Amino acid sequence: MPRRASRELDQLIARRERSRGLLIAFEGPDGSGKTTQRKLLKRWLESQDHDVVSTRWASSSLVKPLLKVRKKIRTLSTEEYSLLHAVDFRHRLESAILPALWSGKTVLADRYLFTALARDAARGLDLDWLLNAYAPLLWPDLVLYFSMSPERSRRRVASTRSPHFYEAGQDVTGIDDPLASYSRFIERVVKEYNNLSVVFQFVTVDAGEAVYRQHTQVREFVERAAKRPWPTFSEDAVKEWLIKANIQDG
Amino acid sequence: MADQGEYSGRLIAIDGTRGKDVIAAADALVASLKERQVECAISRFDASGLFGELAATGRGVHELSARTLALVYAADLAFRLQWEIRPALAAGGLVIAAPHIDSAIAIGSAHGLDEEWIRRLLRFAPKPHFRATAEEKKPGKGWKAAVDRGYGEYCAAMLPSMTDKASRRARKEALAILRRPRSPKVHRLADDDVAHLAKAITGSLRAARSRSASKPRSGRS
Repeated sequence: MPRRASRELDQLIARRERSRGLLIAFEGPDGSGKTTQRKLLKRWLESQDHDVVSTRWASSSLVKPLLKVRKKIRTLSTEEYSLLHAVDFRHRLESAILPALWSGKTVLADRYLFTALARDAARGLDLDWLLNAYAPLLWPDLVLYFSMSPERSRRRVASTRSPHFYEAGQDVTGIDDPLASYSRFIERVVKEYNNLSVVFQFVTVDAGEAVYRQHTQVREFVERAAKRPWPTFSEDAVKEWLIKANIQDG
Repeated sequence: MADQGEYSGRLIAIDGTRGKDVIAAADALVASLKERQVECAISRFDASGLFGELAATGRGVHELSARTLALVYAADLAFRLQWEIRPALAAGGLVIAAPHIDSAIAIGSAHGLDEEWIRRLLRFAPKPHFRATAEEKKPGKGWKAAVDRGYGEYCAAMLPSMTDKASRRARKEALAILRRPRSPKVHRLADDDVAHLAKAITGSLRAARSRSASKPRSGRS
């Protein structure tokens, strides 16, 4: 690994702070309308001449096929399930999110690491262990949390599909009926989300509101959003990527 | 989080920087135990197939980092614990994890990761009853880039910055980490030590079995 002086990297990050893009995370339980709002925001930002990149949970071309097969045959332990999502996240962070932010693009993350924290903590894993697995952390500048009751999430999911085995939390609830299991599991997930929203200062959007009202709110939050400075919040993650990708100034 | 449950079986960890040496040491230990009429299973690197599948889809296409590979190692170990190690231990059997945690710590640290980060990442794994390091062949050389031998070789094949020189330097660092004095004792497996370790394991297993057999039984729960 090429070794570069820490001071040189500090200066590189500080110089990029002004021109780098904004990272916005969309979080919330299934059925809360995150994807709809993410698409609407993307369209709006593009109409304002922003370069926008979207990234979705568990979507890296490297890890997605591995996860898909293992979910289908239901061989994943709680730790393996969690760690494979961490692999996917790290790979997308290094290959898509950080390069886009560095080149000044806005990144919209349809679920971010808080999804892992909420779901895996609901599966019984330690928050402390989870945070370590995702370290060094790249903090989003804004986390939009689409808040919704467990019951409403269950109704929305039930109206469109039967949740699959891991989505329904059947690996931990031991309940045969996917919807009954989902009901139990989503309660724990929402509880974890609510705790995280306080600790990590999410901006809450009421997912029960009309789509256009939510979109108006989202626009306002984005317009007011200030960057969480990389040197303060995300220095280690950015430095590690700069070394790996051998990024120079310019 | 850490799995420190009491198992009646015994877990033996064999670590090293070179996959071939780790497997040779595990095979030698199995043979030595067999001479003492003790059966033993081996849990090997990439039993989950994750590394192999990643290489098939990602080699030459995706640039991977040492951190991503450390997370894959942890996922593979989680698989091995679920399907190989814990069931064997719960059934009172002997199982050799070849490799276990120390290889990941040594190799990951040699590739620039924080040792404490790796240690915390792998803390879900049970502590072994016996720890050993394989006898290292060709310690002055770097890793041969190969995706099906061991973690060190895999990193050499998949990390973009792995020149011969970098590989030699990293292996040297990994060896130094593995050879640091530690407590409890780590057996360094040369020919004589294999028999010595097999004897210690057999004695420990006999003691554990006689302890559970002599437990007072009562009708009350």
